[in-house]
Amino acid sequence: MKTKTESKRQAILKAAAEVFREVGFDRASMSDIRERIGGSKATLYNYFPSKEKLFFEVIHHAKEVELEAITGELNADAGDLKRELVHFGQKFMTVLYAPETIAVRRLAIAESRHSDIGKLSFEQATVPIEKQVAEFLRKVMKRGTLRTADPKIAAIHLLSLLESELLQRVLLGVISSVKPESLSGAVRRAVDVFLSGYERR
Amino acid sequence: MSKSDIKRQAILENAYRLFRAQGFDGTSMAHITSEVGGSKATLYSHFPSKEELFVECMMAALENYMSDTLKHLDASRNDPEAALRSFGTSVLNFICSPEQVEVRRLMIAEAARSGTGRLFFDKISALRSQIASFLNLCMASGLLRRDDPDLAADHLGALLEAEILEPLLLHVREAAPDEEEIALAARRAVAAFLRAYAPTAAPIRGTAGLDNHLRRLPPHEL
Repeated sequence: MKTKTESKRQAILKAAAEVFREVGFDRASMSDIRERIGGSKATLYNYFPSKEKLFFEVIHHAKEVELEAITGELNADAGDLKRELVHFGQKFMTVLYAPETIAVRRLAIAESRHSDIGKLSFEQATVPIEKQVAEFLRKVMKRGTLRTADPKIAAIHLLSLLESELLQRVLLGVISSVKPESLSGAVRRAVDVFLSGYERR
Repeated sequence: MSKSDIKRQAILENAYRLFRAQGFDGTSMAHITSEVGGSKATLYSHFPSKEELFVECMMAALENYMSDTLKHLDASRNDPEAALRSFGTSVLNFICSPEQVEVRRLMIAEAARSGTGRLFFDKISALRSQIASFLNLCMASGLLRRDDPDLAADHLGALLEAEILEPLLLHVREAAPDEEEIALAARRAVAAFLRAYAPTAAPIRGTAGLDNHLRRLPPHEL
């Protein structure tokens, strides 16, 4: 067996991302992906044991790592909480509402009954991000800027509010991309509502 | 019910069953006709396209449920918290049922393939408007602060679904949440919503300006 290389692995991930985006998870085949990169099917399977795993790797490496990095930048010691949240929301939503992220989220829901990718995306992306946000909010609550509440629930409420104006549209494919000005309006309104709901008064 | 209504109902029920079992592509108008009986012309006189029939039968149960639930909402009562909490609990119970989760998943899965996303979105927007009307009444009677009721309805909906829906859609959990779990999620969502929209809360910046205009653009122009 040949040694696996990172460049080959990246080439497979890139080809797979293209194929998934073009024809959807259902119709994509390992053969389509192999055709784009050349080499044998055995080599491909040597890197990725199934289409599901490959699909998930594509999401995870392309987007979830990015989202977690953005979430990790939340600074509980920042002086202006509203500014911090708007800045976070803007960066987070820009990645979350990029066309390829939208496509993979829709596929994760559509395919969740037939494979474990829905579960994997929840456990490896949704849960860690919620935890990071909750940890940030816990510190902010401790400082007294926000009222004391369950930080996990507050985190879920914040993330859900950020998506409140756009989620149905993207999941139903009514829009496949969102202009920055629409995104920033939705983010600002969501943060305002979140703060009104959770600020100490 | 007239004869035509009975026929329409039979078409919806059979189509619903077939679409759920075989998906959109796997179900033909001919197959639906053969299950219902009668001619294809009759089928098309009720539903001009397979897309419209699909959307209609997927949304019918939710539409009926929502209009029944909304009828019981009373904005004149002095307790919007109780009204919204009972509304939220009731709606969450319905949309978290295994059948409705499956419908939602199928709707999302088929939206791209069959081009029905826009039809679904229009129906969902109509339901959202009904909730917005109720919130508008609450704003008029001073129980909630004045703001864009459509935006408020988006926020209320997002808060209600926040805790429970995603794990169900992603099949992380099989079992539907029990009543206690749903009641708790609804209570927390409504509490956050009411704080944010209390008559004394600060208005949301940007709802009256350019952004508000953007929100009202047709969805595909966003």
